[in-house]
Amino acid sequence: MIQFNQVTKRYPGGFEALKNLSFQIETGELVFLAGHSGAGKSTLLKLIAGIDKPSSGSVVVSGQTLAAIRRAAVPFVRRHLGLIFQDHKILFDRSVFDNVMLPLDIIGFDRRDATKRVRAALDKVGLLNHEKLNPVSLSGGEQQRLCIARAVVHRPSILLADEPTGNLDRAYALDIMELFKSFHQVGVTIVISAHDETLMADYGRRILRLNKGQFTQ
Amino acid sequence: MRHWLRLHSIALVGTLKLILQSPLNAILNLLVVGIAVALPLGLYTGVSNLQNLSVRLPTEPQLSVFLQPDISNGDIARQKKRIEGLPGVISVKHISKQSALESLQGNSGMRELLAGLDGNPLPDAFAVQVKLLGDGELEKLALAIKADPAVDTLQQDNDWAKRLASLVALGHESVLTVSVLFGTALLLITANLVRMQILTRLDEIEVSKLIGATDSFIRRPFLYFATLQGLLGGVVGIGVVAIALSRLSKPVESLATLYGEHFTLNLPNAYVLAITLAAVVLVSLLGAVLSVSRQLKVLGG
Repeated sequence: MIQFNQVTKRYPGGFEALKNLSFQIETGELVFLAGHSGAGKSTLLKLIAGIDKPSSGSVVVSGQTLAAIRRAAVPFVRRHLGLIFQDHKILFDRSVFDNVMLPLDIIGFDRRDATKRVRAALDKVGLLNHEKLNPVSLSGGEQQRLCIARAVVHRPSILLADEPTGNLDRAYALDIMELFKSFHQVGVTIVISAHDETLMADYGRRILRLNKGQFTQ
Repeated sequence: MRHWLRLHSIALVGTLKLILQSPLNAILNLLVVGIAVALPLGLYTGVSNLQNLSVRLPTEPQLSVFLQPDISNGDIARQKKRIEGLPGVISVKHISKQSALESLQGNSGMRELLAGLDGNPLPDAFAVQVKLLGDGELEKLALAIKADPAVDTLQQDNDWAKRLASLVALGHESVLTVSVLFGTALLLITANLVRMQILTRLDEIEVSKLIGATDSFIRRPFLYFATLQGLLGGVVGIGVVAIALSRLSKPVESLATLYGEHFTLNLPNAYVLAITLAAVVLVSLLGAVLSVSRQLKVLGG
């Protein structure tokens, strides 16, 4: 599903965020990405999402080499992904409902079906009775769940989550992890980055540990 | 098809939200566009009204030849023959002093004035129709007519018609110049307005791109915005010109009456107005396309 071949990412100025990485993630797998801040976790997720391009090597997602895709085709590749951002990227000029509606609007989904899907996604993350609120009034954990609802509403085959439990207390973080587990059970390929390894250990899944742009054991 | 309609209705709703978010701004923007449209359109209206007037006036030169007051009928006939023989003359019409007096008496203001005079003070005259000649040739013809002492004065009647015609030509030229200037201004105004709209929606654009929005999805609401703004701004512009005309029409009509002309100010016809609207929409769209494309490039893939 996701394959990295000798991928190096060098930022302007010469800083190497990722150094010669090769690995593979199978379809339907749930993989954790561990490491300190600045270890390269976010960069790795950006490369999978095609937000950044590798300086050398190739990233293959769902059989497509991202660097070889025409610019105009990139949006259609992104529609197979669900992205959960570290900084949430929630839009505060619209309601909770409309935030989750955005991916379906982009696809041009039929309004009635879209409404059902949005409600289902909000129900899944426990925000159904908040749909009319402006996200400003949500707590940090609720905003995180809103971000998850938006990432899954169009039923992506790959879910990428960058520090989804970063600022949450343990009980709340476990809730979120349970959510991911349930998506994993329906066959979604999931990559979750976190700096807190104690959460990951409970799940017995593969953990990719990054340190200064390289894997460590 | 349904999918296409859905995408467009999403864009249109987005556009309306964009406008309704700050209605005062939207109104101010419409006024800016409206005034930019009203200036060239108003000038065009003025020039085309002048042109209507000028086509009613003869531009072929006509000379009025006044003879000495005490001339005999035989001399009149001789002069008529002489002038008819000159090169460039089409026809010579004799207006006797009697008929000139009668036509003056038909004019109410003049009747009392003439009643106070003893005898007919008017001379015999010829109305001489001349071919269109170069300035030098016309000058030569005038000298030839004047050469005989029986001719008292000679007057060229189409001077002001010629001046009007050249004024209209100048007007047309300035309509073009002003249209190009204000068209360019409109382009820059729209590009800038769209750029500001983009800046206020930067978060939305960024997130949309990240979750799979195509460039056309992002571009669409701004193009709708520019179209709507161009259309409404154009209507405002036409409205401004119409109001100005209705304010001016009374004084212009009474001025025309003083010159013995019947003259009303009219808006350009529907065809011209439709072309104006289409041009404004097109220029706005172009401004929006330039601006969005530039911003999309800045935002990157």
